[in-house]
Amino acid sequence: MHSIIQLFIRHGGLLTLVVVEVFCFFLIASYNPTQGQISEASWTRYSGTMLNWKRSFLDYFNLKDENIRLRLENARLQSQLANSRIIEVPTLDTVTRNVLADTLENKLIRPEYQMISGRVISNTIAVGNNWMIINRGKEDGVEPNSGVITRSGVAGVVRHVSDHFSLAMSVLHRQTKISAALKGYHYFGSLVWEGSNPEYMSLTDIPYHIPVKQGDTVLVSNYTLLFPEGHMAGIVDKAYREPGSNFLNIRVKLSQSPADINTVYIVTNRYAAELRQLQEEVKDEQ
Amino acid sequence: MNSKLFLPNLWRFIWLVAIQVIVLSEASLTADGYCNVLAYPLFILFLPIQIPTPIAVFLGFLVGMTVDVFTGTIGINASAGALSGYTRAIILKRFAPRGEFTGKEPIPSPEYFGWRWFLIVASIFFGIHIFWYFSMAYFTPVYLFAKILPQALLGWIFTMLVVIVLTRLFHPKI
Repeated sequence: MHSIIQLFIRHGGLLTLVVVEVFCFFLIASYNPTQGQISEASWTRYSGTMLNWKRSFLDYFNLKDENIRLRLENARLQSQLANSRIIEVPTLDTVTRNVLADTLENKLIRPEYQMISGRVISNTIAVGNNWMIINRGKEDGVEPNSGVITRSGVAGVVRHVSDHFSLAMSVLHRQTKISAALKGYHYFGSLVWEGSNPEYMSLTDIPYHIPVKQGDTVLVSNYTLLFPEGHMAGIVDKAYREPGSNFLNIRVKLSQSPADINTVYIVTNRYAAELRQLQEEVKDEQ
Repeated sequence: MNSKLFLPNLWRFIWLVAIQVIVLSEASLTADGYCNVLAYPLFILFLPIQIPTPIAVFLGFLVGMTVDVFTGTIGINASAGALSGYTRAIILKRFAPRGEFTGKEPIPSPEYFGWRWFLIVASIFFGIHIFWYFSMAYFTPVYLFAKILPQALLGWIFTMLVVIVLTRLFHPKI
């Protein structure tokens, strides 16, 4: 209290002035029509700006929640997208599954993929066989042998699952083999990593008569159970034929740089078990 | 403020407000705002030197508000008056004679400090007052160069003439 009185003695004039002027502004705006309109217009304009500032300031506190919501939303949309590619593009030589999905009367839409969003909490790119750990596990519904994708490309394959985490083989692993196709052609091959540059993989088994150009898109093919078919994998960087070889050597620039992976989606194929079982049936006869 | 100083100030208040609202403000209406003479701040300027600033601010507000009530511009003169009550204290402090005000000079009039000193102080005092008055009257910086500054300059010149005449006529000592 004493300090307040001291403050008033020292700055009393200024304080009185501020109070009186605020009161005067109020009087001017209330009793003079012209000034009233001006202040009202200014008030509307500046309070709008102020509210925007406040909004954007408060948004910072919601960023984390918003991020989680967006990831869930993305997972949902990614699985919708992956599923809709199958149903809406029946000519993409996925004969069996599309015929089933499109022609059976009682099964109009049969969602095949489910996505679980997660974050990579550990990742390597520098060694021969690279692994990453994702903060989703058995309790979140992750199963071994699930593909891991990101918004813009492929990231790896889940190999081991604990209760809360999963260990995924990065695309930069010598055992990684992703069935991939060139957009516009039905020829498919395998994306493998040769163990050198972490930004590039090689697409094998594409016959030499295919006119592959630099900049062509490489998609995940429909012969894999791990990834949603048609998901972007990379872009052709260089394509050439070794003398005497029947296949092209294609260097693919990955659309998702393995060094820059944060949010991932773990892909679960609902029919994977069923399809593997079918493949088992004929294994002995091959 | 003791009673010796109270009555002269009350008289100044009444006469200046009367002159302002009966003569000067009426005259300014006919000149479309380009002959706006504001003499009533002379009351604020001639308040006792030793008066505390908050009271000067309040009295400035009061005299402005009284003028406002008669001219129908609620708040505009009051705002300028309150500001003048504050700027007066700053100006007087800045232009204090060597060795501060002694208390022998009750009011800042030319009788005590000379005409040169008074004209400088009054020019600054009325300049700020009139500029603020027109700023409040237009209430938007849009007219700053088109209206506020030219009208304030003209009003200031006319006001200073009237202030000189009034001070010459009445020679206020207390």
